[in-house]
Amino acid sequence: MGVFERIGKALHLPTRSKAPVPFVVLFKKFKSILERNNRILTLMADMGDKLGGEYVFDRRYIESACEELADQLFKLVSDLSILNRCRNVPLFVAFENVRQEIADELAGRHHFPDTPATLPLSELRADMAEAAGGKFAMLGELKNVLQLPVPDGFVVTTRAFAEFMERNALPDFIREQTKLLDADEEGNIREVSRRVRERILAASLPRSLGRGIAESLEDLARRGGRIPKSLAVRSSAWNEDGETSFAGQYESVIGVPPSGVADAFKRVVAGAYSPEAWLYRRRRGFREHEAVMAVGCQVMIDSKASGGLYTYAPLTQKEEGIFVSAAWGLCAPVMSGEIETDSYLIGRRAPFPTLSREIAHKGSRMVLGSKGGTGFEDVPALAADAPCLTEADLALLGEVSLSLEKYFKRPQDVEWTLDASDRLYVLQSRPLVFYGEPARRTGAIDAATSQAEVVFSGRGDVVQRGVAMGRVHVVRTDADLADFPFGAILVSRHTSPRYSRVMARAQGILTDIGSPAGHMAAVAREFRLPTIVGCGVATEMLQSGDEITVDATQNVVYRGLVKELRYFELTEEAVYEDSYEYRLLRRLLKKITPLNLVDPHSPSFTPSSCRTYHDITRYIHEQAVAELIELSEDRRGILDATARKLRSPLPLNLSVIDLDSEATGDTGAIEIPDLHSLPLRELLTGLIDSGMWSTDPVPVDMGSFMASLTRTLGVSGPGSGKLGRNLAVVSSEYMNLNLHLGYHFVLVDAYVGDVINDNALYFRFLGGVTDFSRRARRAGCIAKILERADFRVELHGDLVIGRLKKFDKDAMRAKLRLLGGLVGFTRQLDVRMARDDDSHCFAEEFLAAIKPVMEDAHDNP
Amino acid sequence: MTTPDAAAPARRRLLILDDEPIVVKRLKPAFQKAGYDVAVFTDSAAALAAFEQNPAHIVITDLKMEGMDGIAFLDRIKAVSPDTGVIVITGFATLETAKESFHKGAFDFVAKPFKLADILDVVARLETFLGNPRHDHVA
Repeated sequence: MGVFERIGKALHLPTRSKAPVPFVVLFKKFKSILERNNRILTLMADMGDKLGGEYVFDRRYIESACEELADQLFKLVSDLSILNRCRNVPLFVAFENVRQEIADELAGRHHFPDTPATLPLSELRADMAEAAGGKFAMLGELKNVLQLPVPDGFVVTTRAFAEFMERNALPDFIREQTKLLDADEEGNIREVSRRVRERILAASLPRSLGRGIAESLEDLARRGGRIPKSLAVRSSAWNEDGETSFAGQYESVIGVPPSGVADAFKRVVAGAYSPEAWLYRRRRGFREHEAVMAVGCQVMIDSKASGGLYTYAPLTQKEEGIFVSAAWGLCAPVMSGEIETDSYLIGRRAPFPTLSREIAHKGSRMVLGSKGGTGFEDVPALAADAPCLTEADLALLGEVSLSLEKYFKRPQDVEWTLDASDRLYVLQSRPLVFYGEPARRTGAIDAATSQAEVVFSGRGDVVQRGVAMGRVHVVRTDADLADFPFGAILVSRHTSPRYSRVMARAQGILTDIGSPAGHMAAVAREFRLPTIVGCGVATEMLQSGDEITVDATQNVVYRGLVKELRYFELTEEAVYEDSYEYRLLRRLLKKITPLNLVDPHSPSFTPSSCRTYHDITRYIHEQAVAELIELSEDRRGILDATARKLRSPLPLNLSVIDLDSEATGDTGAIEIPDLHSLPLRELLTGLIDSGMWSTDPVPVDMGSFMASLTRTLGVSGPGSGKLGRNLAVVSSEYMNLNLHLGYHFVLVDAYVGDVINDNALYFRFLGGVTDFSRRARRAGCIAKILERADFRVELHGDLVIGRLKKFDKDAMRAKLRLLGGLVGFTRQLDVRMARDDDSHCFAEEFLAAIKPVMEDAHDNP
Repeated sequence: MTTPDAAAPARRRLLILDDEPIVVKRLKPAFQKAGYDVAVFTDSAAALAAFEQNPAHIVITDLKMEGMDGIAFLDRIKAVSPDTGVIVITGFATLETAKESFHKGAFDFVAKPFKLADILDVVARLETFLGNPRHDHVA
């Protein structure tokens, strides 16, 4: 069935007759919206988990997961159509846009980030590889986050690249030419490659790109205080310098005068179709459509000396060091191997002692030409045989290497240069890959691991695979965290998202207790930090200062450093991130999980602002609540139920629809004592009696900031319309409560009657804006409280779900009071976490404070 | 690890067949690291030819594939070498296909997507089972 037919069917409404629509019918739809909402949030979280490296998934999984999501989303929009009487076209359009983008991505057609034609290096970060390509996103991170010296510059974005290609009909031409390639590829690739490159070189730049380049060059001149004499124009392809380094595969043009940047851009793009680069891509499983290339342009440094280094050089089974090669002049001929270089081996710890060095005769060097371009010149005899690096230079390189390695969590292959004043610049850093014969090394690993002392194995859940080696640092207090040494392995009792603070410094994490679905786990994955949680005995078996090896791939912890394991990690050819499916899933998730619609009171809280499935899901939940209230308030008696506002001492902004009462047309406010729904009454009792929302002092040390609570959040502001209201649908034994408080959502669904087996409680919390680690702390805290109160708890990102069944009526009443208290408490957490960095979660204090309120439920049945 | 027989190498031979390259690409290093001699295939005919030449102790195969599907492949494996332990991995895990693969002599089946640790566990369980000397004349 086509989309529009499906829409047509979904829009068929049962409201044409004169009799009022039974509210129960609409409420069923509403409930199905809530259930679908859950299903979607859980599916999204599951898809995110697949990127951690623990799962083996294939394309069929990606397709079926996307299909199920799309199906659920479509039904979600359709369900809403019933509630809001067909006024849903903009939502269907938003859904269709996202679905189309996902379908395009699955079919290999990309939607590029919406950027200007060029972006300055100072605005780039590691997560912008989609727009700026791998190399320049990484250089941006080095410059702007690690504060390492990187020559100034800008990047021509992937979007501008795609426009350049499209305008010149190049993708079609390349597709045709690809079909002409011989089966063995090598036969005629030179010929095919020549044709493609000629076509690219003859193409013309779109006007917007020409203008972008000119403006960026002006900005560069302004920042540098003068027009740059010479520029380097370099490839920055998707995935370049990622797991697949493409080292040396793509072309760079150096010594480019400002007037030559546009032509150099075309040369670099054409370089993607050199026979070598093209074959390399094809053999590493890259699809043709993944050949996306941003192009960077940087000021050239007038180098005194340049070279490369490996931050980690395995020499023998026991020794290791930093390997530096260096020559006079510019870096390019060192990388291409055209000139002789000095080699130095230095220690991997400060003060980076020189372990050995070989000084070559360096008779020739590359320098910048006086009128642009580059050229070779002879090195004066005295310098030719002298080392080109001093101890101080080497120490500087040692520091930079360790910073890079610690940050990237794996050895790096670095290009660097020194200017005339001995200032060091990093030109590039990419993961160091050792190619070798894995089978032969397996024996060495078996031998090494069989001799190593196993501290424990197979005890916890692997969060992020990999190998970590270093000294243990046990974290018990915040002070331990503040003192966290560079390169240590974090060992703690519990997982905590607070640890994200030291993750850039840590090698690995072990915890006694914790969930692989938790927030810390998500952050550890972002940092690709080898992590095992729930080991049970880590803090008992390990002490600060112990040297250990964590093999978070095999789930084993060894005493001492088992260097062979790291060696294997380096030689592992098939890294999971280096696969089409991984890259595809990561690209797809960008269209699925980010949440842009956070504030229902904002004017941009509209269907047309929905850019991801998460946005649509969020919008519909809000809208469904609003529609249900509005329909039931409608004076024309469309429904057989009426929404009445609850009068309460707290600004809950809550409307109540009672399924038991006839529609009387009475829309006046209802008082709490008049509520005959047991679940709602108990919940409100918990909320009010616990004082968790009140301004009165409470018997825990969080009373002091309570005064600020009642005036800010929860109440819809003036002119906010119907969105942002809260709703309870109840009967005497039932309650479905939707609360949007501040920036988060709480959903409680409860049935409490005399038949124990029917009794059930469902609590859902979905956090909102605040930064990631705060949200994570809050979710973790709520999860902890629910667990302590016997709920079965699931934690996905900042979605917390708690379920509880089959307790007797009195116990259920007590649990409802606890949930009421928790509703107030979550608001406090919002405020508290917005106010300071105190990460203390107050779960114990909350449980202590709510206890008397719960006991009261038993005393006064 | 048990040695199949005196002349054979100490390493157990493992054959992995899945028509999606990413699956074999992920499984190969994991099992190599666990000490297996691993051969991987994305094409069932090639996998069968290799198996007939030199049977493996353990086979991990997908169910739904182009050409010969997993059940047919399982049949052939069992015909050539009845004692080879076979683990079926599938993204379309229905009760029926699972049941059928058990009937044909599969040791266990694992639904995709799965965690590496899960499949390593299943293979470890199979190892204890194969460890019985009477199953050791495969090579």
